[in-house]
Amino acid sequence: MNFRKTMIGGALCIFIFYLGLILSLFYFVSGKGFWDALINPYTLYSIRLSLMAASLATFFAVLIGLPSAYALSRFEFPGKQVIDTFLEIPMIVSPIALGASFLVFFNTPLGELIQTKGIHFVFEIPGVILAQFASIAGLATRLMKASLDEISPRYEAVARSLGSSPWQAFYRITLPLSFRGLIASVILSWAKAVGEFGATVTLAGAMPGKTETMPIAIFTSLASANIEKAIILILILVLIGVATLYGVRLTGKIYRYD
Amino acid sequence: MIKIEGLTILLKSFGLFNLDIEIEEGNFHFLLGPTGSGKTLILESIIGLHRPKGGKIWINGKEVQGLSPEEREISYVPQDLALFPHLNVLENILYGIKIKKLPLREFEQYVGALIKVTRIEHLLARFPTNLSGGEKKRVALLRALAPKPKLLLLDEPLTGLDPSIKLEILQLLKTLHQSFHPTVLCVTHDFEDAYLLGDKISIFIDGKIEQVGKRDDVFLRPKSKKVAQFLGLKNIYKAKILNRDETSNRWRINLNGLEISAPSTIVRNQIETEKEIDLFIRPEEVMILREGKPIKESLRRNIFEGEITDIVDRGGYHLVQFHTNLGKILFEISIPNYALRNLNLFIGKKAKIALRDEAFWMMD
Repeated sequence: MNFRKTMIGGALCIFIFYLGLILSLFYFVSGKGFWDALINPYTLYSIRLSLMAASLATFFAVLIGLPSAYALSRFEFPGKQVIDTFLEIPMIVSPIALGASFLVFFNTPLGELIQTKGIHFVFEIPGVILAQFASIAGLATRLMKASLDEISPRYEAVARSLGSSPWQAFYRITLPLSFRGLIASVILSWAKAVGEFGATVTLAGAMPGKTETMPIAIFTSLASANIEKAIILILILVLIGVATLYGVRLTGKIYRYD
Repeated sequence: MIKIEGLTILLKSFGLFNLDIEIEEGNFHFLLGPTGSGKTLILESIIGLHRPKGGKIWINGKEVQGLSPEEREISYVPQDLALFPHLNVLENILYGIKIKKLPLREFEQYVGALIKVTRIEHLLARFPTNLSGGEKKRVALLRALAPKPKLLLLDEPLTGLDPSIKLEILQLLKTLHQSFHPTVLCVTHDFEDAYLLGDKISIFIDGKIEQVGKRDDVFLRPKSKKVAQFLGLKNIYKAKILNRDETSNRWRINLNGLEISAPSTIVRNQIETEKEIDLFIRPEEVMILREGKPIKESLRRNIFEGEITDIVDRGGYHLVQFHTNLGKILFEISIPNYALRNLNLFIGKKAKIALRDEAFWMMD
């Protein structure tokens, strides 16, 4: 058997498998029903909520994840290994378990205090953002750490010797050099947040027009046999996914220094 | 004057203890030591990237070990150069001046002169990825010198370069030093670099500075057998002092049955007779005598007969191995190529050698 053809055949199989899956969606789509499902206020709300919540969750994940990633990449400190391991918890624990843990937490005295005196998370929009944040913070940190690991600390060492403070060395040297990787990390984290289901539905519920994100709306649409709404949302998610991957590839082409 | 006193660095699996280095202002000082001996760590501790366990560093009388790297006014050229890839050559060069908010106008002439000396005028708009190895070195040196540091640290600046580029960078380092007189501490494992560029050389072996001195002091008068062996010097022997001839003011030395007469100046300290010593006989000060040619009086004291057992072509010169008949002592003799031809030397030839007085050096 020809080695080259076998390997390429494997790649084609995967491509046909996914493409077939996506194309099969159009079997149930008729023009009118498709349009009605798209302009349905609840559909539009779930799209808006998903994009807004994912953007905020990603913002907070980067806000905390970037310094964490830098610390894990550059410094040695007690507990580093433990923190590094904990980053993987959202990746190995079921999202539903993560959401359920939040529900339990918000029933503890501290959780109740946060809910009553601060922000109300359970079955509210902040709960959507919190659930998405919890799902992606570890991943975002891990991806950003990988980008920073690729940049030799020697650049910062030289920048420091030339008169830069640690902050200046970070934003003038390390940040621009790792920008490509960081942007890719942000895009991938955001896409994962958009597609988050388990933790969100457990913590924020599935209330149409309130906490129903796109993945939740797909689930509820299928449950109520609204196939066209489910399909339009699946296609939008696929479109976001493809755009995300294209965006990641594009960052590889820009920010080149030659 | 740069003074490093009692520098002690402790890492998990590595430690350096009580290092002392003094560098006079405007000097090109080499720290010469084997690969993996912690030389880069020393540089990084001087910059302030590692917190040493102990020791003090003074730059022109100011104690700096408590200061952060950006406050020390020490520039650093690492072995991998670390040119900032997202900045073009000019931006790289001006980085230090701009970040320190130094008045650009005052530096204009100086930086212009540096650019001229390094001949990189045509590269200023390019990014580092589009530079050759030699060009990158030039830019890295210029970037380090641009903010007029009080000390310039170079980490193996000539390692890994093609011979032609190495020669070019070596010449550039010489020119830059002669033109702008920066105080430089350069670490290397390459004897040749240290010999060609160093005003002073510190020999760093097994975590200790074994000898500090001008290049001839170190290469021609190694303090110990350890230094001589590290420098790859040939003709190091265990010998015994027999006695001193008061009339000629010379020492009689026994080298495995071979009796040698050496000038009294080779012994610096008080020495007892019958004591075993480490004797270094410089290969370039051993003469192979031409048959039938009259021998100078000064050479007659140490003439030995033997046989040439090997001849190695070292490019610019030849290294001849000579075994004496008495004692079967092996001497390695460095002779110029023309001398080899004139003397018609070949392996197996019986010959006589004479040891010049300048050949002898006794180590501690």
